Amino acid sequence: MAIVYTKNKAVFSDAAGAEEAETLLEWLGKHPKGKIDLGACVHLHPANLQVMMAAGCLVTVRSSDQDLAAWIDSALKTI
Amino acid sequence: MNPLLEQFLSETRESLQGIGEKLMQLENEPESAELMTELFRFVHTLKGNSGLFDFPELTRVLHAGEDLMDAVRDGKAAYCLPMADLLLDAMDYVGMLCDEIENDGVYAAAHAGDSVRLAETLRRMIGAPADAPGAAGAVSPSAADPGPSAEVRSLLSGIPERIRMDAYRAQTSGGLHCLVYSPVQDCFFQGDDPFFQARRTPGIVWGGIAAREAWPELAEMDAYNCVLDFHVLSEAPAEELKEYYRYVFEQLQMTTISPRCLILPQGDPNGGPVYEDFVGDALGLLRGGDIDALRRAARSMLELSSRELWFSSALRWLLLATEVEPENGVVLEAIITSLRTLAAPEWHVLAAAAGPQSPAATGVCAAKECAVQEGAVQESAAKESAAKESAVGEAGLLREETGAAIRAIVDVQREILSLPDEVAWIAGRVKAAAASLEGCLRSSGSLDALPGLRLAAESSVALLSAAPLLAWVEEYAEEMAAAPPSSPNAAPNAASNAAPNAASEAAPNATPATCQAEAPAAREPSAEAKPSPAAAAAPQPESEVKFGRRVEDVYAAAKSIKVDQVKIDRLMNLIGEMVVAKNALPYLAGRAESVFGVPEFSREIKAQYAVINRIAEEMQDSIMQVRMMPVSFVFQRFPRLVRDTSNKLGKEVNLVLEGEETEADKNIIESLGDPLVHIVRNSLDHGIESPEARIAAGKPAAGTLVIRASQEAGRVVIEIRDDGKGIDPAVIKRKAYEKGLIDEDRLERITDPEAVNLVFASGFSTAEAVSDLSGRGVGMDVVKTAIEKVNGTVHLESEKGKGTRIRISLPLSMAVTNVMIVESNRQIFGVPMDAVVETVRVPRAAIKTIKKSMATVLRGRIVPLKALNTLLGLAAQQRANEEDELAVLVVNVGDQQLGILVDDFHETVDIILKPMTGVLAGLAAYAGSALLGDGSVLMVLNVKEVL
Repeated sequence: MAIVYTKNKAVFSDAAGAEEAETLLEWLGKHPKGKIDLGACVHLHPANLQVMMAAGCLVTVRSSDQDLAAWIDSALKTI
Repeated sequence: MNPLLEQFLSETRESLQGIGEKLMQLENEPESAELMTELFRFVHTLKGNSGLFDFPELTRVLHAGEDLMDAVRDGKAAYCLPMADLLLDAMDYVGMLCDEIENDGVYAAAHAGDSVRLAETLRRMIGAPADAPGAAGAVSPSAADPGPSAEVRSLLSGIPERIRMDAYRAQTSGGLHCLVYSPVQDCFFQGDDPFFQARRTPGIVWGGIAAREAWPELAEMDAYNCVLDFHVLSEAPAEELKEYYRYVFEQLQMTTISPRCLILPQGDPNGGPVYEDFVGDALGLLRGGDIDALRRAARSMLELSSRELWFSSALRWLLLATEVEPENGVVLEAIITSLRTLAAPEWHVLAAAAGPQSPAATGVCAAKECAVQEGAVQESAAKESAAKESAVGEAGLLREETGAAIRAIVDVQREILSLPDEVAWIAGRVKAAAASLEGCLRSSGSLDALPGLRLAAESSVALLSAAPLLAWVEEYAEEMAAAPPSSPNAAPNAASNAAPNAASEAAPNATPATCQAEAPAAREPSAEAKPSPAAAAAPQPESEVKFGRRVEDVYAAAKSIKVDQVKIDRLMNLIGEMVVAKNALPYLAGRAESVFGVPEFSREIKAQYAVINRIAEEMQDSIMQVRMMPVSFVFQRFPRLVRDTSNKLGKEVNLVLEGEETEADKNIIESLGDPLVHIVRNSLDHGIESPEARIAAGKPAAGTLVIRASQEAGRVVIEIRDDGKGIDPAVIKRKAYEKGLIDEDRLERITDPEAVNLVFASGFSTAEAVSDLSGRGVGMDVVKTAIEKVNGTVHLESEKGKGTRIRISLPLSMAVTNVMIVESNRQIFGVPMDAVVETVRVPRAAIKTIKKSMATVLRGRIVPLKALNTLLGLAAQQRANEEDELAVLVVNVGDQQLGILVDDFHETVDIILKPMTGVLAGLAAYAGSALLGDGSVLMVLNVKEVL
């Protein structure tokens, strides 16, 4: 699993595939204030991304992958 | 090139021809639903086939064509002449791509744009929207584009200032490219990851993601409906980007922008009078040429202002601009002036600094400044701009303004000229630039510089390099801008002169000669051929994109032809007769010598015979080649057969096919089909054990079945080998004895290898029960009969517990048979050379009679002898020669050698063996008859049956 859900946080690691989006959407539905940790994420499928954009998620930890982080900056807000 | 692609290309050509024909027929009867259906089927097949390969452009156009025809079939669109033209165009395009694929294996990535345009035009015929609404333009080539669209500008302003500054500093010569990639909504279901694609964009400077529409409630959201747009700023050349996005080209919008368009100051527009003062001072410094002082002033102003202000941002840009292009006063001035208005400089308007005299002029200049497009459309636009720009002088503008305008124009020309030279339209580009510069010269009144300019332009055209003209520009640019319009009258004259000039210079380019068959340049002449300024300023209507096919073009000849087999057979028969007819020459030679007594003539006939013989043999060989087919034709059914059969039997089998490219005559290959199926089924059913049994026997669970074809000494050898349980000779012997196939005597003497070959005997079966797969006891018998029918042999080897190997040996061809002629009782008979082992003369004394049979010893082996006369029921005795030796023809029968006593041996000949027909067909002793060169009939013995 590339996304591990804690109490109020979705922690991404490696590359999150398209199949994760369904669960992520469900989780965000239950945790509207859920935070996103992209620290260890290197890539995520756009399905995940648009779910987070739709939920207006806040990123607490930017990806250590600078390239990805720059892309995400244009789509999601970082605390 | 792989065979599949070859096949595809040849089929595509056929289909294209078919499509062309159907379209022509449709012109006569446009209402024919039948024709339309056929047409649709052609395109549909073609599209389906193209999907096998990596040719998205091809598929895209065909797909659009298919959609269009489908719409016509369903009555959603009406068939009309323009539609036929368009379809023909599309098919020409497909043909062109095929040509390129055939020549180079690939086609240029530059076709992506054409394919998108074509597909779109085709779709427009249906009246349905294109694939991606909004993104339809792909690369926006329109010359009259008034600078970057609002969308692009908002995209640019979304890029952080730091990144924009870096990109501006880099001053990429080819311009920057703004990409808006809008993947289709269901792209996730096709396994696409557009984000990954966007991230990997070549030369990426910046990338951003935006939603296409407002977000729905989370509960109603479909995570797999892609609504994201990807924005990318890239400094890679347009070609590379097109290549990278070729599969999704229709989902991409690409705009080329000049780095200057990145100068977009941002921030809090909290203005004040202090700025006004600064603007005044700065302009003074700039006009005074004191860039250093300007820089100092800007820096100190920047220190005094808050970072967040719009003003500060503009100052930072000003500083950067002084650093990057300090000589470009226009840019600096524009930035400074913008401080006054607190609005970003309108770079495209600035270029046409002369103001809005005519909308067309603004448009043209804008295109040049802000959207430095490569390609012919822009070149021609530039050409026209020469006339417009010179007309600018007419309005009686202030001197500085004219100077600035000229400077801007010259800058653009410089930029255009510094583009890479390696393009087909370099000559046109140079001419366009020269025309623009000439216009500038005229309006500034520096007419004395004209000859120099023309000279530079001419050498540029001659060398196909922009360098000479560029050098001229560098030298005279400042002078031109500085010079005032000499008189108010000069400008109108210039304007009226320049326009025809530009047009006439464009004209030579419009001749078809320049475009030749070169596909990428094919659009250029049509764009340049429009001499009217209005038409040139507007982009070419997209529907008029042609693909340069004309009557005089060389069409790629098809490499393969389909021929009816009957024709080949006829050819085969004819060459057969030719072979026979040529055999008459040696007879003739013999007669010339013996009957007419002219040995020289006989020699000459023989020499001629040698020549004809060689040609006939080559001809025969070539015709054989035509009939040759690879064994893969038969092999291809086995993977499926093995899979289905082994699944049914619950066995695991790996099928290995080898030597599929081995070729043999079509008849031979076709005769192989059924025997091979029998053998493979037998192997699967009786040979290969169940996985459990195999593991128990210490073998891998999956059995291996190898079918290998190879060529050996003029014969095709097919080997079918399995690693199954093999055949137990003891069981075979017992079964054969039980079925009465062998007698008790034979049962004791028979060797194991001989015993396993008993499976080929008629009526033999070891299986206790008849299954639907095998066990009827006819299979192997049928195999043997079928193979022997085409003069083949089959041999089986088996080792108990290890596996079975069946070797089938077949002649490469069966059309012409080589036979040896023998004489007996003054008649001649043919014996197939395949059967002949040797010819010897044996002294009568060496022939022993054992019981009633004759035999002799040849090289230590006992060879039974039989007299041909006796075999054929002729009363005569075999005749011996003067030394009392008898002629013995040693032949192979099965595994044994046997001698046939004949009267004499003659030569060997190639004959066309005709099977016996009618009542004679019942005579098994003869394989058939043939006509000899002297007109006599030769009866060919069936050695096996005779003995």
